[in-house]
Amino acid sequence: MNNNIPFLNASIAQALDYTAPILFAALGGVMSENAGVVNIALEGMMRFAAFFGVWGSFVSGNAWVGLLWGIGIGIALGALHAYITVKWAGNQIISGVAINVMAMGMITYLLESIFKTTGYSPPVAYFGAPASKVHLTFLKGIPILGAFAELTILIWFALILVVVLHFVLYHTVLGLRIRAVGENPHAAETLGVNVFKIKWFAVITGSVLAAFGGLALSLGTLSSFTNSMAMGKGFIGLAAMIFGNWTPFGALGAILIFACAQVLQLFMQGTATGFAKLIPLGFYLSLPYMLTIGALIGVVGKAVGPAADGIPYEKES
Amino acid sequence: MKALEVKGIVKQFPGVLANDNINLSINKGEIYAIVGENGAGKSTLMKIIYGLYTPTAGEIFVFDKKVDIKTPHDAIALKIGMVHQEFMLIPRFTVTENIVLGDEPSKGIVFDYKKALGQIKELSEKFGLSVDPAEKVANLPVGIQQRVEILKILRRGAEILIFDEPTAVLTPEETEDLFKTLMKLREDGKTIIFISHKLKEVMAIADRIAVLRRGKLQGIVERDKTSEVELARMVVGRDVVLKIPKAKAKVGETVVSVRDLTVKSKRGIIGLKDVSFDVHAGEIVGIAGVEGNGQAELVNTLIGFIRPVKGSIMFDGEELKLLTPFNIRKKGMAYIPKDRKARGLVLPFKSRENIIMGQHTLYPFSKNGVLNNIEIDKFATKKLQEFDIRPRDIYARVRNLSGGNQQKLILAKEMSMEHKFLLASQPTRGLDIGAMEFVYHKLIEEKESGVAILLISLELSEIMGLSDRILVLYNGEIVGETTPDKTTEEELGLMMLGLKRQEKVAQ
Repeated sequence: MNNNIPFLNASIAQALDYTAPILFAALGGVMSENAGVVNIALEGMMRFAAFFGVWGSFVSGNAWVGLLWGIGIGIALGALHAYITVKWAGNQIISGVAINVMAMGMITYLLESIFKTTGYSPPVAYFGAPASKVHLTFLKGIPILGAFAELTILIWFALILVVVLHFVLYHTVLGLRIRAVGENPHAAETLGVNVFKIKWFAVITGSVLAAFGGLALSLGTLSSFTNSMAMGKGFIGLAAMIFGNWTPFGALGAILIFACAQVLQLFMQGTATGFAKLIPLGFYLSLPYMLTIGALIGVVGKAVGPAADGIPYEKES
Repeated sequence: MKALEVKGIVKQFPGVLANDNINLSINKGEIYAIVGENGAGKSTLMKIIYGLYTPTAGEIFVFDKKVDIKTPHDAIALKIGMVHQEFMLIPRFTVTENIVLGDEPSKGIVFDYKKALGQIKELSEKFGLSVDPAEKVANLPVGIQQRVEILKILRRGAEILIFDEPTAVLTPEETEDLFKTLMKLREDGKTIIFISHKLKEVMAIADRIAVLRRGKLQGIVERDKTSEVELARMVVGRDVVLKIPKAKAKVGETVVSVRDLTVKSKRGIIGLKDVSFDVHAGEIVGIAGVEGNGQAELVNTLIGFIRPVKGSIMFDGEELKLLTPFNIRKKGMAYIPKDRKARGLVLPFKSRENIIMGQHTLYPFSKNGVLNNIEIDKFATKKLQEFDIRPRDIYARVRNLSGGNQQKLILAKEMSMEHKFLLASQPTRGLDIGAMEFVYHKLIEEKESGVAILLISLELSEIMGLSDRILVLYNGEIVGETTPDKTTEEELGLMMLGLKRQEKVAQ
C-alpha cells in the first residue's frame, strides 16, 4: 500500500494545480457579480494576464515582476469593463465579449511581434521552478497532506483567497455594501451607499483576480505562454461560480469536483485496463467538460444569483 | 413650527409639466395628506423633496431653514425619510442588515452584526414596531416589510416621514396596523406626509389634506371641514358618480358552468373545494372574499393555467379543462388580470404592440407569420381614441403609462377580441377614481351587450354596486350566495371572514 501514497499525493497536487487558475477566475466572478456586474471577460482577462506575466518575467528575468505586469493589465481591463458597464451603464455581455475578442487578436499579435514566434513564448522565470515553490518538507509522506508539500505560491494564494473573500463578503461592512449593491442598488443608494464606487471597486478587484488566474497558468503550471492558454478555463470558472451559488466556498467545491474529473482523465489515459481501455480517449478528455455541463443542468435551476446581477444601474434624473 | 415648506415648485419633464407652482406648508407633528389621481404629480413632488429629482424652479424650507436637496443623502441629513411605494428592501438580507445598511456598526472594517441586532431590537421596542431582527425579509408578510422600511428611516433620525401610497400593497388589517403606527408617530412629534389616492383612508387619518390635479394645487382643506364627496370633486375636477347606474340583468343562456371544482394551490394544499356555480349571458356574478381564499386558484383554472383535481368547467358547451389557454381565449374568454404589469401587458413594448397581443397571429394583424404594421397602426390609433388612452401615441412605451391608462389599454385589448365571457380579476386594483369610473361603465356596457361576467374583487362596495348575484368565497369554498338587494356589506363581511355561513347554498 505504501508506494501508493506518493502517487495519491501527486494526483492531488496535480488536481490543485489544475484548480488554481479556475479558482482565481471563479473568485473574480464572485467579486464582480456580487456587486451586480456580470464579467464574462474572465477568459480574456486570463489570457491577457498570462501573456503580460510572461512578458514581464522575460524582460526582467524575475517572476515577481511578471506578476506585477499581470496585475497591471488586470487593473487596466477591469477599469475598461467598469468604464463601459458602470460609468456608461453599457451592456455587460457585449463589453465582456469585446474584451474576449480583443484578447484573442491582440495577444496573438503581441506574441508574434515581441517573441517572433507563433503559438508559444520562450521559457521564462516562473513560480513553478522547484526552487521557487513553497516547501513544507515535514508534510511529505503523509497521505493527502503530502500533496501540499510542494505547491507554487499562486496555488496557496488561491486557496487562502477563498477564505479572505468569504470574510470580506460576509463579515465586513464593505462586503455587506457590495452584496446590497448587487441585490438592489436603488435601495443601497437611498441609504447613502455610493453605488458607483462600490461597483468600480468590485469590477476592478474581480478583474485582478481573473488576471491571477492567467498568471497561475503561464507562471505557475507552465513557464511560458502558449497561444491556447486559457482554453475555456475562464468560462469553467464562470460555471463554477454559478454552480457554487456565487459564493467563494461554493465555487471552490465546484472546482474541486471538476479537478477530480480532470485528474481522473489523466489517470485513466495512462493506466486504464480491461473495459476502461476500450473507451476512446476522447471520452476521458471530455470528462471534465461533460461533468461541468451535467452539474450545471442539475443545479442551474436552483442557483439564484444576486437579484440585480447584470442589470446596468442608472440614477433617476 | 413649520416642519416643511415648499414654495413655487415647478418640475418640467420633456412634454409634461408634472408640478406647476406648488406651495405647501406643513406643521410639525401633523399628518398631512396629499391626494390626487395617478399622474397628478404627487410622487414627483415627493421625489423632489427627497432629492431624487431636481426641481426646475422653486424653494424648499425644512424647519424654517432654506435648503438645497440634491440627493437622498441630503434629505436624510435633514431628517427627511421616505417609505417608497415599491419597498427598497433586499429580500435576501435579514431585517437588521436591511435597516443598518449604509450606517453599519463596526469594529474596524468588520461588520458588527451582533451589535446591530441589539440596536434594532432596541429601536423596534422604542417605537413599538415589533419585528424579528434576525429574520430574512423574504420570509415576512408585506405589512411587516413596511414596518422594516419605517424602522429604517427612523434609525436615521427622520423627523419628517413621507409615505408614498403606503396602503396600496396592504390588506385591510395591515392598513389598520399602519394607521395605528402613524398615529403613534404623530404623538412622538413626528411629521407625516401621506400620499394617497384613496379618499376613505385620507379622511380616516389626515389632519389636513392638499389636493393635486394635473400638476396643480387645487386646494388645501382640513379633514374636519370636508367630506369624501367634496374631496372627490376636487380630485377629479367635476362631480363624481361612483354610484353605478344599475342596469337590470337580461339573463340569457348559461355560458360558464362550474361543477364540484376542486383545485390544489401552489403549495399543494386544497385551494378550491367543491365549488359550483353558473354564469349566464348578460349578468355579472361577483365573487367576494378576502384575498387568498381561493381566488387565484379559480382564476388560474378558468384561464387554463392549472388543471383541477376534480370537477368540470363547461364553457359554451365544451369541457374547458381539456383546452389550452390559447384555445380558451379563442373560444371567447376575455381576461382582466389583477396584476396588469405581470400578466396583462408587456411593459417594454409599445401601446400598438400591446393592444394586439393575443390577436397578433390572426388576420388582419398578421399573415403567414408576418405582421401587417399598417393594419396594426390603424387598429391601435382607433382603439386609443375609443378608450381614451393617454398619451394618444401608439408608439409610447407601456411602461411609461399611468396605471389607469395601462388598465384602459388592457380593456381595449380584451374587449376588442370576440368574447362571450369576461373574467375580471380585481379590475380596479390600484386605480384612481376617474379610471375606476371608466372600468365600471365598461363592465356595465359589456353586460348590456350580453357578455357573461365573473367579477372577482376585494372591494365590497364594488361587488355590491356591480353584481347581479354575489358568491362569497371563504377558505376555498362558496359559503354564501345572495344578491345585492338581499344583503348588506356587514353581512358579506361576516361571511368573508368565515363567521357566518349559509346552511345550504342553493344552486
